[in-house]
Formats: sequence, structure tokens, C-alpha cells
Amino acid sequence: MAVLELNDLAKRYNRKVWGVRKMDLEVEDREFIVFLGPSGCGKTTCMRMIAGLEETTRGSINLEGRDITDLPPRDRNISMVFQNYAIWPHMTVFDNIAFSLKLKKMPKEDIRKTVEEVAGMVKIEQLLTRFPGQMSGGQQQRVALARALAVKPKLFLMDEPLSNLDAKLRVVMRTELKAIHQKTGATSIFVTHDQSEAMSMADRIVIMKDGEIIQVGTPEDVYFRSADMFVAGFIGTPPTNFFPVSIRKENDRGYLEHSDFNCPLGSEELGLVSKGGREELVLGIRPEDFKLAAPRKGILNAEVLVVEPQGSHQILAVELAGNIVKIIVSPDQKLAPGDPVSFDFDYKHLHFFDKDSEKRIS
Amino acid sequence: MNNKLRQNIYRSARSTSLYIVVTGVAMMLIFPMFFLFTTSLMSDYENYQEWPKPLLPSRTVDFRLVPLEEKDGEEAYGLQVYNFAEGDFIPYGPVSNSRSKSSLRKLNNFIYNNFNCRTSTEEILLWMDETDAKGSHSFTLKKGILNNYNRFFRLYSGALTSVLASISTALFTILISLSIGGMAGYAFARYVFKGKNILKLSVLFVRMFPPVAIALPMVITLGKIGLYDKPVGLSLIYSINQISLSIWITASIFMGIPESLEEAALIFGTSKIGAFFRVTLPLAVPGLAACAMYSFIYSWNEVINALILTQFNPTLPVVVYRSLLGANAQVHLIAAGSVAQALPAIIFTLFIRRYILQMWGGVKV
Repeated sequence: MAVLELNDLAKRYNRKVWGVRKMDLEVEDREFIVFLGPSGCGKTTCMRMIAGLEETTRGSINLEGRDITDLPPRDRNISMVFQNYAIWPHMTVFDNIAFSLKLKKMPKEDIRKTVEEVAGMVKIEQLLTRFPGQMSGGQQQRVALARALAVKPKLFLMDEPLSNLDAKLRVVMRTELKAIHQKTGATSIFVTHDQSEAMSMADRIVIMKDGEIIQVGTPEDVYFRSADMFVAGFIGTPPTNFFPVSIRKENDRGYLEHSDFNCPLGSEELGLVSKGGREELVLGIRPEDFKLAAPRKGILNAEVLVVEPQGSHQILAVELAGNIVKIIVSPDQKLAPGDPVSFDFDYKHLHFFDKDSEKRIS
Repeated sequence: MNNKLRQNIYRSARSTSLYIVVTGVAMMLIFPMFFLFTTSLMSDYENYQEWPKPLLPSRTVDFRLVPLEEKDGEEAYGLQVYNFAEGDFIPYGPVSNSRSKSSLRKLNNFIYNNFNCRTSTEEILLWMDETDAKGSHSFTLKKGILNNYNRFFRLYSGALTSVLASISTALFTILISLSIGGMAGYAFARYVFKGKNILKLSVLFVRMFPPVAIALPMVITLGKIGLYDKPVGLSLIYSINQISLSIWITASIFMGIPESLEEAALIFGTSKIGAFFRVTLPLAVPGLAACAMYSFIYSWNEVINALILTQFNPTLPVVVYRSLLGANAQVHLIAAGSVAQALPAIIFTLFIRRYILQMWGGVKV
């Protein structure tokens, strides 16, 4: 059964600008949902509506079968971690964490126990008597996390909680957050614009653009079965390479024709792409789905423009019809700028998109 | 080496000239205050009879009593005072003093009023005996350092009650301007509404009216609502001025407190009002205190409105102002009044110094 339901949720600012155009979503119990999208796509607005910090223009929010659309934040049984931590500088760490418990008139002994428990969970037991001003960003983030955990909420909201941390700490916290989620099992919604963060943490990813949901799915779904060119271009680093191609048939064999290469198709794929008399489409290939072939023997022939060594792999950039194409190859290949290279494609992972609607052809 | 030497000379010449300029400017600022303060501690004699005027007030005064020719069959004595400018004792005071009661009292009062030294008629009689025995008698009296202050508040009628009036006016002003201005400032800081910028600017317009120009309507209006010549009425007028300043100051204080702190409080169990009192207000207190001090200092120092709007119930600055107009201008007493008037404002300014930074935005988080 769904714990959280968003029905036709929308937000418009000043009767002009749409923050969120339409959100329909069901979140299962104990699920870790990530809202992913570029800045300004409405993901934070949506989260703030769920939190009750923003009024809704249309639609409803149900939590555990209860309509919470117009309830004040404190009555919603949620908690939240803010991007800038928002821990209160005039209170000690202990008081920050105990704030909500004190307001609930919990007995003193229970408060102490709960605070120590959550502080242990985020490893800040030794900081309880300190003030936030004397702590580093990472520690403040842990306090914010502990404060949110202490409530033991039905729904746990996180608004880009890692974006103010430095890159290394961010990766550490990512793992810890996921471990905490597995331990507490609280249904969580996590907002981020970092796709690798989303991929590594989410049970399901909600990809948003211009206030609308583009795709909802597991990390594998959005990666291997991207709903449209936006998702394919947004997920993965480097992003998917797109080639505008036309379909050509010759003696029952089909080709995808590009100015620089001809890609032969199997009959199954040909049937799929040429459905409805389609003649042109966009071919999407992820950087790791190129296979290095013997020189001049592959489908795609080009010259290396730039080599970016990454240790575990290296990224080649080649220029095709004025566009840069990025390709991941194993680090064993010794390649230098100017070298001729040739590639085959991994047919299992070709993505076909309609030229006009940019939607996946399936 | 030569180059280095030249560089050193250039550098020290530069810093020396900088210090000279800075010292000059500092002197220009400090010297009037220093002058006022020392004058307030000096006696009438020091102020009017010694030339050049001493820089620092003396702690003691040296006197000499000498016998004069008998007058009307009574022994007569002349008072002499040591004058630092002349470097000698010179006769000063009543031309001749006898042992009669009225003459002794006169001399006693003269010493108190002119030298700020307290003595008694019995003591004077003893000195006269000594003079008879030895030909002349030298003695040193200690000066009462705060005598001028004492005398200012006793000499100028209503000076003491005016302190009370000043304090209550200031408190009312703080109360009104901080409560109304604070609420408005919060609204300006947190909410978006139509005409916000124009409104925020226009609250400053009221400060542009010279009080003298609107004196008559103010007096009539206050008279009609029965608040003329009362601290509350005066504080209402002050608040007009201070509310607009409070709005600007508090708005910047509240803007410096991140909204997400309040939102976090909302999420973790408070109402909107609760979030304000539990989170925003405690964080704003230093800035608000500084803002209150501003109101206090303004109300404490203001003269023109107070002059127009009070009659029998003046505030302290009005009393000081009136003392300046007295026929017998006693500069040391007026200085004492002025210092008494200025001191609280100075102390409060020093007190709020720490908080002024927060007033212009930025809570340390």
C-alpha cells in the first residue's frame, strides 16, 4: 500500500510562474525516493509542499490515507533536513535534537535516551554540549540529520542535504545516509540535482523537468530504459551521445544512416524503429556501449581528439559531424590524440528516440 | 643597501605623517569632550580667575588668612588664595571678614561656592585664632570633586524630576517604536507584498519634517488628547521618528536570520508564532537591544521637540538648555549638567558597540 500519494499536485507562484505543473506519485512504505532534476525543475517546491512549507495551488497530498494537504507542518508526522542545515545557532546540539521532543512533552529521561540514540546513529555523541557555531559543515549536517531522525517520522524529507559538503565528505555521507535508511526503514524523499547521488541512493528515481515528472523508475530503469532524450542526457557521466540518423532499407536489411557511419540493424530492431513509416530518428549510445574494433573494421571510424584518463577507465573524445562524442574505453589501450580509432556498437544497449517528440521508441 | 635604507625612511615617514594626521583628527574630536568634562570638575575660581585656565582640575586649594586693620572695633581678616598663574597668594573674596556670625557664614558660603571646598564656621574661627597667634595662617582644603553636579541639580529647578521625565519618555519611546517598528520590520523582511519597496521608503518621509515647522499642530493635537507636557505625549512624537528607523534596523536584523531556521521550527513542532518566539526572537535579541538603545539615545538627547511640547515637566536636555540661558551663566555648573546628560548616552553606546554589527545584517551561525 502506498504511504504517500500525490494527486495532481501543482504550484503556481503569483498566478504566473508554474513551480510544479502536475505531480502524480505513489510512494511505497520504506521506500527511498529521489527527486532528480536540473535547478528550477520544481523538485524542491514539490518537497516543500509535502512538508507544508508551501501552499498548494491544486491537488492533494495523502500520507497514510490521511489528507494532509492543508495541515500545518507540525501535524504532518514528517521531518526534514535542509540544504543549509538550518540548525539553531542559539541552542546546543542536544537542545537542537531535543527541540521537537520537548515540544511533545516527552519525559526528560526518554528525551535523553532518544537524543543519545540518534546522536550515536550519526556519530556525534561527543558534540552534544557544543554550539553549532563551533562545528564544521559536516558535523552540522549530522546534527541536522540527528534532529530529523529524533522525531521518528513517517516520512523523512531531505532537501539537497549533501550539496553544501565537500566532494569527499559527500560520498561518505551518501553511504551513511543509505545505511541509516536501511536501519530505520523510514520512508524517505531525497531531493538532489546530482545524478550520481540519485543513482547510488535511490530505490526509485523521480526525474523532473519544468515542473513535471518525466520518468519514475529504479536506477536501472532510468539508466537503461530512459524515457526520453532528456533523461538519457541527464543520467550518466559522460551523458548519452545522440546521433540524428535516417532509416534506409536495402534488400530486407536495414541501416541507420548518419553522415559519418552506417549502422546495420537486425530485423527486430528494424521493425521497431520503422513502425508507422518513420524515416528519421535519434540514436542514443552511452559512452560505455562502444566497443573498440580493429582499425577501419568497425562501424564508426574517427580520430581521437582528447584523451581523459580516469584510472579505472579512460574517456575518449572524438569529433563527428561537428559534435563531440565521448566514449569510455578500458585503460589498457594506449591512445594519443590524432590516432585513428574504430568502434562497434553494443546492440543490446542502443537507445532509439523519436525525432520530434524526443520520446523513447519502444 | 642604500635602496633598502631609502625604503625604510620612506616607510617610517609615511607612517609618521599618517599618525600625525590621525592624532590631529582624534584631538579635534576628543578635546571638546575633555574640555567639557574637566570644566565640570573645576571650581568657579579655577574657571574664572586663573589664566591660563588649568588643563586638569586641582584636588586641593591652598588658602592663607592674614590679619587686616581693625574695623569698627573688631578684628578683621583677609582671605588669600594661591594662584598658580601668578605663583603667589593673592587676596580674593570678601574684603574683610570679622568674627561676627553673619561674616563667618558669608565666608563659609564663599569658599563653598567659589572653591567647591566644604568647611564650617567653627573651623574658620580656629583659623582666625591661629592667625592671631602666628601673624598669618596657611591651610589647605580638599575639593569636593562632584560638587558641581550636586549644585546643578539643586540650583536648577526641576532638574531631578526632569531626569525621571527623561527616563520615562525614553522607556515609552523604546516600547512603542520597538514593538511597532519590530513587527513592521519582520513583515518587510519575511513577506512579499505589493508596494513593499515604496512603503519601506515612505516610512522615512516622516523623518523629513522639521519639528519646528509642525510645532503648532503637534501642540494642539497633544493638548486635545490630554498628553501635552507629559512623557507619554513626548514619546509618541519621538516614536514617529524612531519607528521608521526601527523598521529599517529590525528588517535588516530579521533578514540576517535565515528563513529556514523558522521553517525548521515549523517542521519540528511549533506554530508560526512559536517559531518566532523560540527561534527568531532569541537570535534577534542582540540586534533588537541595539535598536532599543538607539531609541533611548535619541529620546534622551532630543531638545527641540521637548522644548516645544513640555512646560512644567521638562526633560533633562531642556533643563540643561535652559541653564545655558541663565543670567548668571556659571559655566562649570552647565558643564556638569551637560556631562550628566551625556554620560548615559555614552555608556549605552559603549554597551551596544558589540551588537551594532548584527544590526546591519548577518547572524553568526
